[in-house]
Amino acid sequence: MNQNQIIKWLRKNLFDTWYNSILTIVCVFLLVWGAKSIFSWILFIAQWKVIAVNLQLFLVGRYPEQMYWRLWVSIFIILGLTSVTIGSLVKKIPNRWLPLAWAISFSVILWLIGGGLGLQAADSNLWNGLLLTLVMAVTSIVISFPLGVLLALGRQSKLFVVRNFCILYIEIVRGLPLIGILFIAQVMLPLVLPDDITLDRVLRGIAGLTLFSAAYLAENVRGGLQSIPRGQFEAGKAIGLNSIYIMLLIILPQALRAVIPALVGQFIGLFKDTSLLSIVGLLELTGISRSILAQPEFLNRYAEVYLFVGLLYWVFCYSMSLVSQRLEKV
Amino acid sequence: MGVLLFDVSGFSTFGKSLDFFDLTTKDTKEERKEESMSMQDVVIVAENVQKWYGKFQVLRGVSLTVHRGEVVVIMGPSGSGKSTFIRTFNALEEYQQGRIEIDGIVLSDDLRNIDAVRREVGMVFQQFNLFPHLTVLDNITLAPIWVRKWSKAKANEVAMQLLERVGILEQAQKYPGQLSGGQQQRVAIARALAMQPKVMLFDEPTSALDPEMVREVLETMKKLAADGMTMVVVTHEVGFAREVADRVIFMDTGVIVEEATPTNFFQNPTQERTRKFLSQIL
Repeated sequence: MNQNQIIKWLRKNLFDTWYNSILTIVCVFLLVWGAKSIFSWILFIAQWKVIAVNLQLFLVGRYPEQMYWRLWVSIFIILGLTSVTIGSLVKKIPNRWLPLAWAISFSVILWLIGGGLGLQAADSNLWNGLLLTLVMAVTSIVISFPLGVLLALGRQSKLFVVRNFCILYIEIVRGLPLIGILFIAQVMLPLVLPDDITLDRVLRGIAGLTLFSAAYLAENVRGGLQSIPRGQFEAGKAIGLNSIYIMLLIILPQALRAVIPALVGQFIGLFKDTSLLSIVGLLELTGISRSILAQPEFLNRYAEVYLFVGLLYWVFCYSMSLVSQRLEKV
Repeated sequence: MGVLLFDVSGFSTFGKSLDFFDLTTKDTKEERKEESMSMQDVVIVAENVQKWYGKFQVLRGVSLTVHRGEVVVIMGPSGSGKSTFIRTFNALEEYQQGRIEIDGIVLSDDLRNIDAVRREVGMVFQQFNLFPHLTVLDNITLAPIWVRKWSKAKANEVAMQLLERVGILEQAQKYPGQLSGGQQQRVAIARALAMQPKVMLFDEPTSALDPEMVREVLETMKKLAADGMTMVVVTHEVGFAREVADRVIFMDTGVIVEEATPTNFFQNPTQERTRKFLSQIL
């Protein structure tokens, strides 16, 4: 772009009328002033020692140091699979083994983190910080997705009992605040379950998130199902497919693709909602931040801590958003 | 008629009971029909079919018998129940009274019977109803693979033969959205044929097409008829009816008003209602 073009562009987009020129100048002034104060705060006033000292706590909490290798292996698996997946998406060669590989590695990673079956167990009390946030968010997403799809299908069912149970469930859950459901899951689940089954606090947290998320997912998926024209069902019937095949091969692939933006939006919401679990005493990213802030040394470092934590949340949410845009194009 | 046979290798993909190679020795449609009549080879029997939408009766006792290899065209004004009638043949529409038997299988509430009938009956819709998320090839192989349990290789081979028959072999890897209406409808025909049906139902197959694409679809249907496929066609295409049909049926207000050979139907209709209809469309 030569100088002339730049001036032309400025004229057209920023200074085309006298009031737009004033607006431009005022906005530039505000932006510069805002950026200057933010950066001078970040660079000169903020005391980042609180982050540097507690970085391990933020990321993995009290996870035993001699077991860090398991986390590294998990990260390695995830990065490897991600690059293979991106590769097959870019080349547009569908790989039928990828979903299976993801499913297997999901369980392997959970096993690596939690131990058991030959590995020394790492109690879930010790998974804190970002690690706990990720484990809870991913597990809730993975479980609530099929649950939500089933609820959506159930809500459309011709069977009276199934349909009304699904409607009842969805409407009850949607009518309750998430924090209420999380409290119910923490306090009431142990009362309802038989004595010999004890769910630890993390599992109860995941249960609460999953039950909540499934109801909202169901409504999103239902929207997708209703967008599929009747002719698709009829064509499926006419070529002899039974109703399960019609659903799995024809309707769901189209319905889910239609609601990818809504689904990912909900997963992003779910990821951030894990922060509410800090209120019921779980030390995930937000929870551990609160206990770090209680360290006498760093009593007033709210801004630094929450800015850092916010950045972490943003990085993951934005990545999900990028994945969603990629998926929509497939 | 024998001239219209065009793809000898593809014959194996059609019904087994008709010896296609014999067709070359028979010169006229009438001769063929006579033979099938004499064999008493009945594919569709509908007796006194009645259907209500709430209090409104759409089908008021419709009976029809279709023999193997026969091409029956059903005409009639919109709302006459003609689409509803052929949609009862593969249980896309329920009926409340009467009896329908397809190739010896009685259509009842029994789901196994419904599935069995749907495997034997192919259907082509006005709006094509292709699966937009699958390629043309996958659209065609879906049912053979999942219902007939064919291997992918076999299903693909048959699908490619069918695509060649309907003249769009080169579009196999495209998605339906990338095809013209006429091409899409021909894919839909190939998809129905992939299940090797004994009967093909056509529900206004050219009504949603731009005029210049009607011909290519009708040509495909003519070839199909020439190859001996049993067909029931709901259409307004007079030319097709004249040229291909063995029988033309005229329906109005849920009953069959007139039934005749194409020549008699278009030249000497006996019913006043038929004459009125024909005067509007001819």
